[in-house]
Amino acid sequence: MNVNFNNRDPVYLQIVRYFKEKIAIGELEPGEEIPSRRELANRMKINPNTAQRAYKEMEEQGLIYTERNHPSKITTDTKTLGKVREELIIEAVDMFVTSIRSINVPVEELLDLVRVKYTANDDKEA
Amino acid sequence: MIEVKAVEKKFGRKKILKGVSFTANKGEITCLIGINGVGKTTILNAIMALTPINKGQILIDGKRLDKTTFEKITFIPDVITMLPQMTIAEAMEFMNDFYTCWNQERATELLEFFRLNLSDRIASLSKGNTAKVNLLLGLALDVDYVLMDEPFSGIDMFSREEIANVFTSHLIENRGVIITTHEVGDIEHLIDKVVLLDDGIVTKEFSAEEARENEGKSVIDVMREVYKR
Amino acid sequence: MKNYLKLVNFEFNRIAILFSALLGITFVAQIVGVIVQSRSYLSMANEKIYDEMMSKAQFLEIFGQMSFLQIARSVWFMGPIAFCIAGVGFYIFLIWYRDWIGKNTFIYRLLMLPTTRLNIFYSKITNILIMTFGLVAFQLIIIPIEMLVMKVMVPNEFRRDMGVNEIVSSMPELGIIIPTSIVELILYYGAGMLVVSILFTAILMERSYRWKGIFAGLIYSAVAAVVLISPVFLHEFVLNGFFYPIELLILEIVMGLIVLALSVWLSGFLLKNKITV
Repeated sequence: MNVNFNNRDPVYLQIVRYFKEKIAIGELEPGEEIPSRRELANRMKINPNTAQRAYKEMEEQGLIYTERNHPSKITTDTKTLGKVREELIIEAVDMFVTSIRSINVPVEELLDLVRVKYTANDDKEA
Repeated sequence: MIEVKAVEKKFGRKKILKGVSFTANKGEITCLIGINGVGKTTILNAIMALTPINKGQILIDGKRLDKTTFEKITFIPDVITMLPQMTIAEAMEFMNDFYTCWNQERATELLEFFRLNLSDRIASLSKGNTAKVNLLLGLALDVDYVLMDEPFSGIDMFSREEIANVFTSHLIENRGVIITTHEVGDIEHLIDKVVLLDDGIVTKEFSAEEARENEGKSVIDVMREVYKR
Repeated sequence: MKNYLKLVNFEFNRIAILFSALLGITFVAQIVGVIVQSRSYLSMANEKIYDEMMSKAQFLEIFGQMSFLQIARSVWFMGPIAFCIAGVGFYIFLIWYRDWIGKNTFIYRLLMLPTTRLNIFYSKITNILIMTFGLVAFQLIIIPIEMLVMKVMVPNEFRRDMGVNEIVSSMPELGIIIPTSIVELILYYGAGMLVVSILFTAILMERSYRWKGIFAGLIYSAVAAVVLISPVFLHEFVLNGFFYPIELLILEIVMGLIVLALSVWLSGFLLKNKITV
């Protein structure tokens, strides 16, 4: 668990995002126990208040749930989990689209290029 | 809550504090930021009644400081508070002798956490280890409030990391902390609240997370804005 | 009270080295003095009797027997005492300043102890008292030892033995340090503590107000001195011997108590409200 925080986004939101990414790629599984607030603060080098706030946010978004006297767990609700993945993809694509739009590339050319780059990258990693 | 209300302080003819007001809550880390010589240390000294103030008032949980307050609040200055010839063990014994809120278990935990030796003499320690002993002696007290003066200045990188780890641990949890620094850099995401000092007054008091959330600004961004004026 | 005793004990441990050094110096110097003085008396006797063919009786008639007073009046004996007095006098200042000066910042801890800050004052003044009494008691213990050394060195007929009391009463300067009655003891040491309390107050004024405090401290000391000598002054120069000696004494004691109370109160006030690290 190592995050490089940027200083301009709220730290608690950066933590929420970190959890979403882990959920999206399946590193955190539905129903999996997550570290206590104190442990998280310690591991991520943030202040316990911030950890508390991040957990509160995730609880509100339904990403985690806490039963009395038990550690918090990742939700098992598939609908919420599906939404997380979708949300992250849309967010990333939105960002990409905003930046590429200024160059005015025809969409077909763009998609071809994306396909080549994306798979080339896969090969390299494999 | 620690309330500093319109505190003024003169050194000779020079006014160092010209009406400083801010509050620090229990359970939060409040950071006093300002360039060297702006009076950060003086404010901490004044809270602990280690130096008189000319005007204003300082309240701790609504009351003025008296001798019993020292079981409730502690100060970790950037100088040693023990005799240099004492060993760490002797220093701990001294604290245990005088403070009912001394927590031996926690002291032992801190000793291991900082990898200090009981038999080392304080005078023989490096600057980093001296700072750690100071922290140990302060944090092993079961107090509600902890004041720290420049806990990161002039200390090697590894010691600095270790000390930063204290802030993310149960050693600090639920306590009210005031720290001073002239360089916010590596602790930016550790702190809850920022109090900017300049020219003897508080130029801005704000929550670090709120500045990021509402304005998308880092603590340093806000500082730049404030000091530019 | 418990914190006061703990502080006294702690402060005593801090002076232990200096204290034992003073004891050691006193002991060594005085014993050396006994040997040197006895030898010089004996060598003089030898010279007169064997070289100049003076009879023993004649010698004793002219030069007298050797008594411990000769030793006690020598620099070997009085020197260490003066040195100890100077040491204690120096320590009256050092006991405060060593917590502030240079790299020593122990004053932070002392002022942050969860006990009334006046206990710091009391514990320090108690240590001055302990040190003084300790030195005097040690002196009283080693005088008989020194007499024994003299006895061993100087033959009976050349020696006049004296008791400690006799020595003290024939040396007024020793009488101040070693009072011969309880009343004297209380008066002398009471006066001594009074002076220390005034000096402590002046030191705390300096520590609170720095340069201005030095002047305040000097003025306070001067005012205290004037208050203390005012009864005697009035008695001698204004009222033409109005008081009986016992009345004058009581008046002085009352003045002393007033100044003492004022010093303690002022010190407490400064420590609580004005002191600065």
